Amino acid sequence: MPKHPKVFVGMSGGVDSSVSALLLKQQGYEVTGVYMKNWSKDLPGMKCPWAEDLADAKRIAVKLGIDFEVWDFEKEYFEKVVEYILSEFEAGNTPNPDIMCNQEIKFKLFFERAMENGADFIATGHYARIIDNELARAVDEKKDQTYFLYRISNEALMHTIFPVGKMIKSDVKKLAKENGLHNAYKKESMGVCFVGEVGMKDFLKEYIDTKPGEIREIETERVVGHHEGAIFYTIGQRHGLYISGNTGELNVGLPYYVVKKDLENNIVYVSRNLNDQNIWVDELKLRDIFLRDSKTHSNVQVRLRHLAPLIPATFDGEKLYFNQKIKRVAAGQSAVFYDGEKCLGGGVVI
Amino acid sequence: MIYLDHAAATPISSRVFDAMKPYFSEDFFNPSAAYLPAKKVASDYEAAKRVIAHAIGAKYSDLVMTAGATEANNLAFNATDGKVLYLITEHDSVRKVAEQHGGAPINVDKNGRILLDDLKSKMTDEIMLISVALVNNELGTIQPLSEIAAYIREVRLDRLSRGIKQPLYLHSDASQALNLLNVNVARLGVDLLTLNAAKIYGPKAVGALYVSRDVKLSPLSVGGGQEMGLRSGTENVPGVIGFAKAVEETCKHLNGNRKKYAKFKQIILSELKDYELINKKHSLDSFVVLCYNGIDAERLVFLLEDKGVYVSTGAACAASKGEKSHVLAAIGLSDSEIAGSLRLTFGETNSEEQIHEAAKFINEAVETERSRHA
Repeated sequence: MPKHPKVFVGMSGGVDSSVSALLLKQQGYEVTGVYMKNWSKDLPGMKCPWAEDLADAKRIAVKLGIDFEVWDFEKEYFEKVVEYILSEFEAGNTPNPDIMCNQEIKFKLFFERAMENGADFIATGHYARIIDNELARAVDEKKDQTYFLYRISNEALMHTIFPVGKMIKSDVKKLAKENGLHNAYKKESMGVCFVGEVGMKDFLKEYIDTKPGEIREIETERVVGHHEGAIFYTIGQRHGLYISGNTGELNVGLPYYVVKKDLENNIVYVSRNLNDQNIWVDELKLRDIFLRDSKTHSNVQVRLRHLAPLIPATFDGEKLYFNQKIKRVAAGQSAVFYDGEKCLGGGVVI
Repeated sequence: MIYLDHAAATPISSRVFDAMKPYFSEDFFNPSAAYLPAKKVASDYEAAKRVIAHAIGAKYSDLVMTAGATEANNLAFNATDGKVLYLITEHDSVRKVAEQHGGAPINVDKNGRILLDDLKSKMTDEIMLISVALVNNELGTIQPLSEIAAYIREVRLDRLSRGIKQPLYLHSDASQALNLLNVNVARLGVDLLTLNAAKIYGPKAVGALYVSRDVKLSPLSVGGGQEMGLRSGTENVPGVIGFAKAVEETCKHLNGNRKKYAKFKQIILSELKDYELINKKHSLDSFVVLCYNGIDAERLVFLLEDKGVYVSTGAACAASKGEKSHVLAAIGLSDSEIAGSLRLTFGETNSEEQIHEAAKFINEAVETERSRHA
């Protein structure tokens, strides 16, 4: 009897990874479910649901009759992901934790540990495909997660299976239901629990000391309000501005936008001018560029946030040039390049 | 459904439910209000407290009604500003508050019974409170409270003879005890005793703390001064009425239940295969704790769930946090033995037929797990 290929599948307790495990089992793999414990800290007023997620993942594994393990990456997650997030915010940027988690934890530490344990493959419930050994967008365009995966190593990708990447979400749910794997009470998996449930602001308050400061109108330098700490604000943000001079008074209706942050002087600049040069740009400079192959790609399609429309652009190895003005994304967010379905890589917006 | 987790929760009995109903909408008045209908509610409330108090040989004025046993346990520790000792196998609602008081744990033997010598070796003149649950919530172990109380009396006399005024109180959490034991505060020799409606087919979040007149207690929360100023807040009238009814029912069925659960235990132990019984001695018959070494008992919980059989791997709150049982560790079980431990707790929802069924399903689940790696 030929040996069954061994696969470790990351299970979160959610429907996508549950169905992934089911499909792998049906396809004859020797499947081990793994719950990656990345974060278990309760923040004030907020219980991290990791133990419930773990129990849900395990329940599914038991129903499928597969082995199940808990791999504790909490220390590494803090060092590689949380500290990165904190330092980015402290530098005035708005980082993406999921991209870093995929790069450093799921497709690095998890991958390496799986290989050490005799794996032929790893698998996750991500909506993405691998076509000709290259990362490609999922069949379900509304669920495609390649934006979060553009930085994962090719070495890991060679040994990765995305079982639901060829499916549409409604079929995944149906399959889960037919196989008794659905958790009727369970919400969509939030990925990183502390970001999803607590909100980034409460999280940052736990770790970063901030000082209140002024909100100024950029055109006039007039003080129009006060903020709780410049790092909490993102360029383009409209809501949650304490404007009219009184901290604590929320005027959501006022059409002020954050257009600039002066971290040194702890000043947040806002504008009512929707055409402000800080919001609309026709080029973006990138850092930490990660290209998935060695070819030169000058004409690319760019996605500036998860599921955002693809915008044509030219890339000179450092900057993206757009044919028309685009709404600027916050520094620290990623620009991800595509050529058709294929994900070419990307970089972090400066 | 075969429910074998009565130590985690019990359903409200129909008699209890019926007794509570009028107090939600018809007799809803605030017992502290001046008009007659409210006074009637106040008098019903007092009568209910009397029933609960009499069941444990106390007066109604000795009881402070609380929102559950956790609050009662926390309140009990407000009797002390000195050092405390607690049994290492206590429920978290005692353990955590004892730790806040800098408490030291008293060890147990392999059956989960208190090591009196360990208690004696840790006794100092600074100790003001000792907390030992009458029945452990994971093993069903019954503690020899009257022996502990006798020792405490000696310590008190010794302190007095040396002119030391520091009082010494004995607190016991009896949440799991009322179903099968005659609980009498004088016979047990306790100064503080926690009761819980939720484990005896009464409503959840209803409990009481018995406070002997010798104990000086300060409240956790202040306000309208209800419960003799020890627990402010409008009285939970339907809850306490339900609690009293549950106590009445429990006392009535005490002997019958003892026989019933002894029979259930005998059936399940003779029909199950390849297990080791963990709570062999000094345990309530409604508690059966099994060890399937080499098996992950949590997998059994999920397999059995699929068959409509509900069991647990230990205290529900510890299991939900993914923590290993501190109780099983305290009686000397290894990590793999703890992982293989399954807790069954019988109750009024069960019939003999169900116990036979459950044994069959548990054997099948164990077989499924053992054969997965064969």
